[in-house]
Amino acid sequence: MWQVIGHTWAVDLLQRSLASQRLAHAYLITGPDHIGKTHLALEFAAALNCNGEEVPCHHCTPCRKTVQGTHPDVQVIEPEGARLKIDQIRRLQYDLALSPHEGRRRVCVISQFERATTEAANALLKTLEEPPRHVVLILTASDASLLLPTIVSRCQILPLRSVPTPIIEAALRERIAEEARVQLIAALAGGRVGWALQAIQEPALLEQRQDNARQMLQVLCHGRARRIQQAEMLATHEDVQGMLQTWQLCWRDVILLQHHCEELLANTDLYEELAQIATSSSPEQASTAWQSTRTMLDQLEKNVNARLALEVMFLSWPRVEVGVTDSV
Amino acid sequence: MKISCLQENLSKGIAIVNRAVATRSTLPVLSNILLSTDESRLKLSATNLEIGINCWIGAKVEQEGATTVPARLLADLVNSLPAERVDMELITRTQTLNLKAGRFEANIKGIDAQEFPLILVPEEDMRVQIDPDVLRQMIDRVAFAAASDESRPVLTGVLADFSDDGLTLAAADGYRLSVCTTELEQAPEQPTSVIIPARALQELRRISGEQEEPVEMLVSSGRNQAYFHLKDIDLVSQLVEGTFPAYRQIMPTTFNTETIVSTADLLKAVRMAFIFARDASNIVRVQMVPGGENSGRMIISATSAEHGDNVSEIDATVEGKPIEIAFNARYLIDALDVMDTAQVSIQTRDASSPGTFKPVGGGDFVHIIMPMHIPR
Repeated sequence: MWQVIGHTWAVDLLQRSLASQRLAHAYLITGPDHIGKTHLALEFAAALNCNGEEVPCHHCTPCRKTVQGTHPDVQVIEPEGARLKIDQIRRLQYDLALSPHEGRRRVCVISQFERATTEAANALLKTLEEPPRHVVLILTASDASLLLPTIVSRCQILPLRSVPTPIIEAALRERIAEEARVQLIAALAGGRVGWALQAIQEPALLEQRQDNARQMLQVLCHGRARRIQQAEMLATHEDVQGMLQTWQLCWRDVILLQHHCEELLANTDLYEELAQIATSSSPEQASTAWQSTRTMLDQLEKNVNARLALEVMFLSWPRVEVGVTDSV
Repeated sequence: MKISCLQENLSKGIAIVNRAVATRSTLPVLSNILLSTDESRLKLSATNLEIGINCWIGAKVEQEGATTVPARLLADLVNSLPAERVDMELITRTQTLNLKAGRFEANIKGIDAQEFPLILVPEEDMRVQIDPDVLRQMIDRVAFAAASDESRPVLTGVLADFSDDGLTLAAADGYRLSVCTTELEQAPEQPTSVIIPARALQELRRISGEQEEPVEMLVSSGRNQAYFHLKDIDLVSQLVEGTFPAYRQIMPTTFNTETIVSTADLLKAVRMAFIFARDASNIVRVQMVPGGENSGRMIISATSAEHGDNVSEIDATVEGKPIEIAFNARYLIDALDVMDTAQVSIQTRDASSPGTFKPVGGGDFVHIIMPMHIPR
């Protein structure tokens, strides 16, 4: 049984190619972060070396080793630091030239391939085109358009899409009992299964999000002077990006509330506060605020000065009186 | 697991398997040695997924079992123990190995043996036996010529070709080629050729040091692994996938000059030339001047623009046309080092064709070196 949440079509496709023994030598799995790309790749790796009847069985030794990450023939390569480097690829090429150690195939999962340097990507071309007999390569990337076209054309592409919220909800219900939390996490996940599962295991993730949202509500209460002060303070926050993402989602919800689409709300636990913002600001203001948050997220990737960008963004947000206790 | 054995044996066994312990690996268990009981012996195993070594040592087994412990730690500890009986007991609950020798006691934290990759004994497909001395000599003659650069994995391996003519080992790195053939007592059932990593053969050479009985070689049916069976030691090597270059085609068939020279004299002259050649891309010029029995000469020279030059002249038997050819001194030294006969024969055609080196009366061994371009 494939233990994959969602992505049924991709699982079907891989299963069929396994059953008919018509495997591609290289696969490229694309999709947003935390959607289950590497997980799907590892399930496939387990299926390739599984000894059970219904592959992957998750009971036999090869399956267990693959899941634990101790299978000698299954390698997962991740970027070293910020980039995936040519040395990693060279080392891999040597390992791939050897016959599999105990399984039927050597499987190599190279994750986040969009972070490979051009040299590393080019070095892989030859292997990707004509890997040794026993090898199956699985690349993952957030988007095929970020890779060299020469890489993409050598792989069978599996573009994964966001997993529908009901499926995530169903999966979460098997793991936690509280219905309110199930719905909140599923809504916040926005199709990212990996994030949802992580949120169950690490409550800190949700707490962090609540803190972030509270920061936003505070900013909205204040005038310009206090906002600039707060920008200075938040610029040194350890995860500015995560904070901005929360804010962007909050503004999205405000816009949805203004258009009476309560059922699409993601931050269900903040309903009252968001509703307050929605009624006391105009749709134009909310949309400008969403836009400026989005712009800042983009700029952050281009190494903008976080403090200045935060100031600009805060000044473009409307002033709203929200009933939150000021605890700065 | 509860066993006792002698420190001496344990230390020796660890030294043998230690070389197969992985130094760079993503699997933590590979930097461990697997200790397991095998009837009345203790089996030590290590693997880096390329080479795996099993070594059996005599032990008194009180309770069967298996565990893995960090190789470095175990080796350092056992080597510093006194030469007496060592008692080992595994505490299963914590995967801790309790080790006692005389008044010394240690506890080593291990990893569950279940996590250790299997070193499989291949299904029998092709089996030959070979004399350990012959095997060692062949490895010495061939393995050094394999490429150390991993960018072309096939060239880091040694081609082992089993046929009715015997066993042929061949290795090449693009600049030199070594081919050595020996007859086998029993011809293999079917001709087989596989590429064995040079590193595995060098390890085999090392661990077969004290071996006197014939070494048994097996190639498994999936042709995944080569398996060498020695007394109390097994070495299993993964094979390199791919096609070895058709080396027979590049072996020169004709020559214009044949030089026969004393191996020791030539080696000495080349070593001397290398002192200067080091700064000049290792270029050593070799000039052959024809003449009959020891009336010919060989002139070896090297020039360094910065440090000066050197010329040595040695007696040789040279037949054919005079020639001047340049070689990489490093390659000449490597090749002459493994020529264990008094004289070596050098066949050359012209300054841009490879030179063929053969030991005179030293079996079926050919070493070919590409010449270097001499700047005029």
